[in-house]
Amino acid sequence: MNQPTNIFWNQKETEDQPIDIFWNRRRKTFLSIGIALLYLITMLLVGLLLRPESYGVNYNAKFIPPCLKHPFGTDYMGRDMFFRSVKVLSNSIVIGILASIVSSLVALIFGVVAAMKGGPIDGLVNWCVDLCMGIPHIILLILISFMFGRGGKGVMIAVALTHWPELTRLVRAEVLQIRSSQYVQASYRMGKTKFQVAKSHMFPQVLPVFLVGVVLLFPHAIMHEAAITFLGFGFSAEVPAIGVILSESMKHIASGKWWMAVFPGIMLLLAVLLFDLVGENLKRLLNPNSGNE
Amino acid sequence: MRKKRILIISCIIFTVSVLLVACGKEQKKIKKDSSRNSNGIVCYVGHGFWERSLDPVKGAFSYGYDFINNALIRVNAKSEYEGDLAESWEISEDALVYIYQLKKGIQFQDGTEFTAEDVVFTYETVMANQGQNENIDLSKLKKVEALDQHTVQFTLTEPFSPFLDTTAQLGIVPSDGYHSKDYDQRPVGTGPWKVVQYDTEQQLIVEANENYFEGAPEIKRVTFVDMDNEAAFSNAQSGQLDIVMIQPSYASEVVNGMHVEKLETMDVRNISLPCRKPEIITNAKGESEEVGNIVTSDIAVRKALAIGINRQEVINHAFDGVGKPAEGWTDHLIWGNTIEYQDSQVEEAKKLLEEAGWTDKDGDGIREKDGVLCAFKVYTPSDEQDRYLLAVAVAENVRPLGISIEVKQTTWDEITKEAYCEGVVWGYGQYSPMVIDSLFQSEHFMIQAYSNTNGYENERVDNLIAKAISANNQKDAVAAWKEAQVAYAEDYPYLYLVNIEHCYFVSDRLDISVDTQIPHPHGHGIPIICNMKDWKIRQ
Repeated sequence: MNQPTNIFWNQKETEDQPIDIFWNRRRKTFLSIGIALLYLITMLLVGLLLRPESYGVNYNAKFIPPCLKHPFGTDYMGRDMFFRSVKVLSNSIVIGILASIVSSLVALIFGVVAAMKGGPIDGLVNWCVDLCMGIPHIILLILISFMFGRGGKGVMIAVALTHWPELTRLVRAEVLQIRSSQYVQASYRMGKTKFQVAKSHMFPQVLPVFLVGVVLLFPHAIMHEAAITFLGFGFSAEVPAIGVILSESMKHIASGKWWMAVFPGIMLLLAVLLFDLVGENLKRLLNPNSGNE
Repeated sequence: MRKKRILIISCIIFTVSVLLVACGKEQKKIKKDSSRNSNGIVCYVGHGFWERSLDPVKGAFSYGYDFINNALIRVNAKSEYEGDLAESWEISEDALVYIYQLKKGIQFQDGTEFTAEDVVFTYETVMANQGQNENIDLSKLKKVEALDQHTVQFTLTEPFSPFLDTTAQLGIVPSDGYHSKDYDQRPVGTGPWKVVQYDTEQQLIVEANENYFEGAPEIKRVTFVDMDNEAAFSNAQSGQLDIVMIQPSYASEVVNGMHVEKLETMDVRNISLPCRKPEIITNAKGESEEVGNIVTSDIAVRKALAIGINRQEVINHAFDGVGKPAEGWTDHLIWGNTIEYQDSQVEEAKKLLEEAGWTDKDGDGIREKDGVLCAFKVYTPSDEQDRYLLAVAVAENVRPLGISIEVKQTTWDEITKEAYCEGVVWGYGQYSPMVIDSLFQSEHFMIQAYSNTNGYENERVDNLIAKAISANNQKDAVAAWKEAQVAYAEDYPYLYLVNIEHCYFVSDRLDISVDTQIPHPHGHGIPIICNMKDWKIRQ
C-alpha cells in the first residue's frame, strides 16, 4: 500500500493534451476535494451560527420573488429563503455526520467481528445485513421513524440506524480477504497476537475502503432525511429541514411561486453532489486500485 | 462506479421530481365528458365526502341542510329552524314528548311514499346501531311512534332540549328499500339530489330529483371530484371546474372566468388554555396522566392573551385578512352569545401580567414568575396548514406582551394526549349547543376525548348547562345557553380568535344564490352545497 500513489505521478496524459506539470491529476483531485469541503464546512458553520431572526417570520414580506435583498425570495410567512436554506442545509449536514458516525461504528464492529470470528456469528451478522437490505430502505426508515414517535428524534434514529449494512459487507469482505492472505498467516506463525495483526495488517488495509464508505454514506443520509421529512414522517413543520421546505413549497408551486422549491432543491442537490465528489476523489487517492474496477 | 451513478441519478430524480410534482398533478385532468355543459357542473369541495359512508343512518350529512336526504326540520339562512319534512312540531310541558306533523304527498326517489313509518324506521335503526353513528346521539330517546300516517311522536327518557337539533340532523331513509350496505354508496332519500354514481375517492355524481317536493333543481347534473387542493387549483386555472374550494392564502389569486366567493360560516377557531395547575391524575382506565399547565392556569395570563392580542392583525397575517375576529361564538348560531370586548389593549394586558407577578427580569423579552418562564406550547394538527398558520401568527402577535408560544405540529393522536397540558388550536362550528356542554361541563374532563380538555370547573356554568338541557322550550334553553357563555367568558378558558370564512373560486357562469346560503357549519369545503338546489347556470 505504500507504492501505488506513484501511479498518479507517472500517469500518462492523453496525447493531444499537453502535460501540465503543476496541475496534474493529483493536485486537481486535492483541489476539488478542498473546494467541496470548503463549501460544505462553510454551510455547516454559517448555518450553526445563524441568528434565528434572519430566517424569522416577517408578515410584511410575504412571497417576494428573488431579488437582491432576498436572493432566494421569501415564503408564505415572509421568511427569507436564502438564510432558511442555509440553516436547513447545515441541519442536514449535522444529521449526515451523525448518521455516518453511528453507521460506520456499527459497520466496523459488525464487519470485523463477523470476519474474524466466522461461524454462527458471521451467519448472524450476514442475516442482519440481508434482513435490512431486503426491506426497501425508505420503508425501513419510515417504520423506525414512526416507532420512535417521528419528529427530530425519530428521523435521526432512523437515518443513523439504517445505513450500516452496505458498509458492513464491505468491511467484512475486506477483512476476510486479508485474513486469509499469506503475510497475515505468516504473522500468526511468527507468534503475533490477534491484536497486533489487526493493528499492523488489518487496520491500514481496511481504512481506505472504510473512510470512503463513510464519506459516501453522507449524501445517502441527507437524501433520506429529506425524503422521509418530505413524506411527512420526519421533522414537523416548525423545524427547519429541507423536506419541510420542499413539501411546503409544493402548496404554492401551483400558483407560480417557483422560487420556494427551486433554490433549496438546488442547494440540496449541490451538497449531495459535492459530498459524492469528495468521496470519489478520496477513493482515488486512498485506494487507487479502484480505478481498475 | 455503478453505485455512484445510482446515487447521483436518484438524487437528481428526487429533486427534479419534487420540482415537477405540481406539473405532474396537472395531468390528472377531468375527463372531458358531458358532465360540464349547459346544465351540468363539476365541483371540487374538499375531501370530506370520501372519508365515510353516504348513509344518514351512519351519520352522513348531519349538518342541517338538504342534499340526498331530508331531515324533519332544517336551518334557514337566518339560522332559525324551519320545517323540512315536518310541517310543524310541538313540545310537551314536561319537555319529554315531541310531536311532529309531517308534510303530505312527498315521495322518495324510488317512488315510494314518505310516511310516519319511515321516520320511525330511521330513528329506530339509528338507535339500534348507535355505535355506527357518532354524529347523532339518540341515547336520550325512549321511543318513537307513528300516531297516524303523518304524525310522529318522540318520547324522551329525560328533558333534553338539544333533541330539536337532532331532528334537524338526521336524514330520513325509506323503511321499505333501506339496505345498510347499498346505502353507503347509493342512499335513497326525499332530497333534491339523487346519486347516479359514486367512486370512492374519485367522484360522486348526482342528478336532479325531478319530483322534489319543493321543485326540481335547475342544474341537472353535478359531479364532485376528489383531488388535492393544488391540483384543483391547477384545474381551475385550465377552466375545467365550476367550483373550487381554496385555502384563504389563494384568495388573492386571479383565475380567468372565475371569481372568488367568501362565504360566512359558524366555524370558530380557538386555542384551548388548560385551566388546571399541573398535577398527576388517575384516569378512568387507572393510568396516571399529567394534566394542567402552570402558565395558562393563571387567569391573568389567559386574560392578558384575550385582551392583549390583535385579532385582526392575526387574521391578516395568517389568512390574508379572510375571516372575522371572534371573541366568542358567532351570532350565526341561534344560541351564540357574541361577548365582544376590545382587544389589542397591550398596555392593560401588560399591567395585568405585572400585577400577577409575571415580570421580565433577565431582559430576554419573556416574562417569568418564581423562576417559571411565561411560555407554553400550542399544538396544531399536521394535516391542516391553516391552523398552523394561525398559531404562528398568534405566537408572533403575543410576543410583545412577553408571552412565548411555541407552535408544534403533530397528529391528532398525540394532540389528544397533549391537550390536557398544552394549548391546541380547535375548530368548532355546529348548530347544536351541546358543544358548550362538551367543552365547559366539568364532569367531561378526562372522560371523553376532545371534551373539556382544559379541565375547566365552574359550578355556575355546570348549573346553567343543566338548566338549558332540561328546558321545555327553545326560548328558555337559548337564554340559559347564552347565560352560560357569559359565565365562562369571565374565566377565558379558550382564546377565541376568528370566525373563519370559506373561500371558493366560482365560475362566472354559475349563480350559487348567496342569499339562501346558510352560514356554513364545520365541514371544510362541503357546506357550499347546502342550497345547491337553488343554483343556476347563466346562459
